[in-house]
Amino acid sequence: MRKRPAAAVRPSALAPEQGSDTVGSINAAAEFAGVRPGMRLGEALATCPGLVLVEADPAGVEQAWEEIVCALEDAGYSVESATPGVAYFETRGVERLYGGLEPALQRALGAVGSVWDARIGAAGRRFAALAAASVARPGQLLVVRDDEVDTFLAPLPLNLLPIERQRRDELEALGVRKLGQLAGLPGGAVAERLGPDGRRAWSLARGGTNARVRGRRPPAELVESLEFPEAIGNELTLRRALGVLVDTALARPERRDRFVRKVALSARLVGSSASGGGSWRRALTLREPSAEADRIRIALAPKLAELPAPVVELRLELVELTEAAGRQLELLAAGAEDRTRLREGLRQVRASTGSGSVCTVVEVAPWSRIPETRALFVPRDD
Amino acid sequence: MVAHPGDTRAVRAAGRLNEPRPARVEANFDGTPWQVNHQSVAVLREEWRVLDRWWTEEPVIRRYFEVVLETGENTVVFHDGAGGAWFTQRGA
Repeated sequence: MRKRPAAAVRPSALAPEQGSDTVGSINAAAEFAGVRPGMRLGEALATCPGLVLVEADPAGVEQAWEEIVCALEDAGYSVESATPGVAYFETRGVERLYGGLEPALQRALGAVGSVWDARIGAAGRRFAALAAASVARPGQLLVVRDDEVDTFLAPLPLNLLPIERQRRDELEALGVRKLGQLAGLPGGAVAERLGPDGRRAWSLARGGTNARVRGRRPPAELVESLEFPEAIGNELTLRRALGVLVDTALARPERRDRFVRKVALSARLVGSSASGGGSWRRALTLREPSAEADRIRIALAPKLAELPAPVVELRLELVELTEAAGRQLELLAAGAEDRTRLREGLRQVRASTGSGSVCTVVEVAPWSRIPETRALFVPRDD
Repeated sequence: MVAHPGDTRAVRAAGRLNEPRPARVEANFDGTPWQVNHQSVAVLREEWRVLDRWWTEEPVIRRYFEVVLETGENTVVFHDGAGGAWFTQRGA
C-alpha cells in the first residue's frame, strides 16, 4: 500500500490470499467506511463498494522489514525479529551509551525513520512490552515499569493475546473481556477449560515470562536473481531458470566451502510495477545442509507450482549457510582439473572484455515455435 | 545488469537468444523474397508459417522463408504479419 500513494487516501484493503476469501490489513479510510480486517471479500465490498484491493507483496514486506532491522542493528541494538512488523530488543547494553532508557528508545525510533509509523513499548517482560507498543500512538514511546505491569495490562482487551479467535470468543462468552479478568482466574481452571493455549494466554495476561532477547545472527544475504525479457508462466521454463540460479548462487565466491541450510525463492509477478503489485516468496530449510545443486533444485522446484501468476523476475536467496566443518568431501572431485582450467579461461576472457561478456545459454522452452523464446543467455560472473 | 562483485546481491538480466534482426527484403507479388539485404535469392528452399499467441494482445503471425543467396549463404527471413516488416533470424 505504501508503494501506491493513491491507495492510501482511498479505502483500501489487502486482497485475499490464495485459497482465502477474507481481506487482510486495511487503511484508516476503509476502517472509517466500516470494513474490518478478516472480513469476507463480498461483505467488505458490499460495505464499501469503492474499496481498493491491493495485492500482497510479501517479498517487498520482507525487504522493507530487513532494512528496518538492519537500521536498528546499525544503531547498536541486538534485535530479535518476531514477525515482519514486530521486533524485540534490549536497551541494557546501550543505555549508558545514549544516556538512559528513554534516549536509547528515542534513538531506536529515529533509526526506523519517519517513513514508518513506529511505536515502542518498553517493559521488563516481553508481552508487557508488546502490549505497550500495541496501544502506543505512532511515534510514541510507552515505558511500563515493573511495578506497573499488572495495572497496565488489566484494562487491555483480550485481542492482544496470541490465541485463536475461537478461544477468545469462548472467554468472552464466559464474561472475560479484559486481560486483568483473565489474570485473576486460577491458572489450573483456565488450563482445564481452554487447554495449553489458554494456560499460555493466562500466563501472558499476568505479564508473561521475562525470557532474554536473543539477537538474530546476520543473514547470509546471498541473492541471485534473473529478470526475464517477458513474463514466464510455464513451470518447466521456470524450473530451468531455477536451475541456473542455483548453479550461479552456489558458484559465488562468497559461499566458499559453506553449505546451504536455508533457502528462499521469491518472484516478482506479472502486472506488478515499481509503483505496486504482487510478489511471491517461499522459504525452505533443508533437512541436511547441502551444496549439491541437484538437491537444492529438487527441494525448491515443487514450490514453483504454487506460483499464482506468470513471473517477470525470479530470485533465489541463500538465507543461511553453515560452516564446512564436519562434512566428508571427495578427495579428488571428478573432472575438477578440467573445470578449473575452464574457469580460469573464462576469468581471463572476462578480465579482457569486461563484466557480462561471458554468458550461459539456457534452454527454457525448446518446444516453442517462436525461435527467440526457446533459449535465454544469462551473464555469468562467477 | 550485473551487480558490483563485492555485493552479495546479483541481478542478471537474461537476454533472448536468436532475436530477429530487421532485414531489407524485396518480395515478389506472391510475397516470396527475391532479394535479401541487397543480395539476390538463388533458391527458395522452404516456406512455413507460424501463428502463435493469438490469444494475447501481441499475436505472432509470421511467414518464414529459408533461402539460399547468390553468395551461397543460407539464411532464414520472415515477414511479420502483425507489423508488416521483414526480419532475418537464426535458429529458426
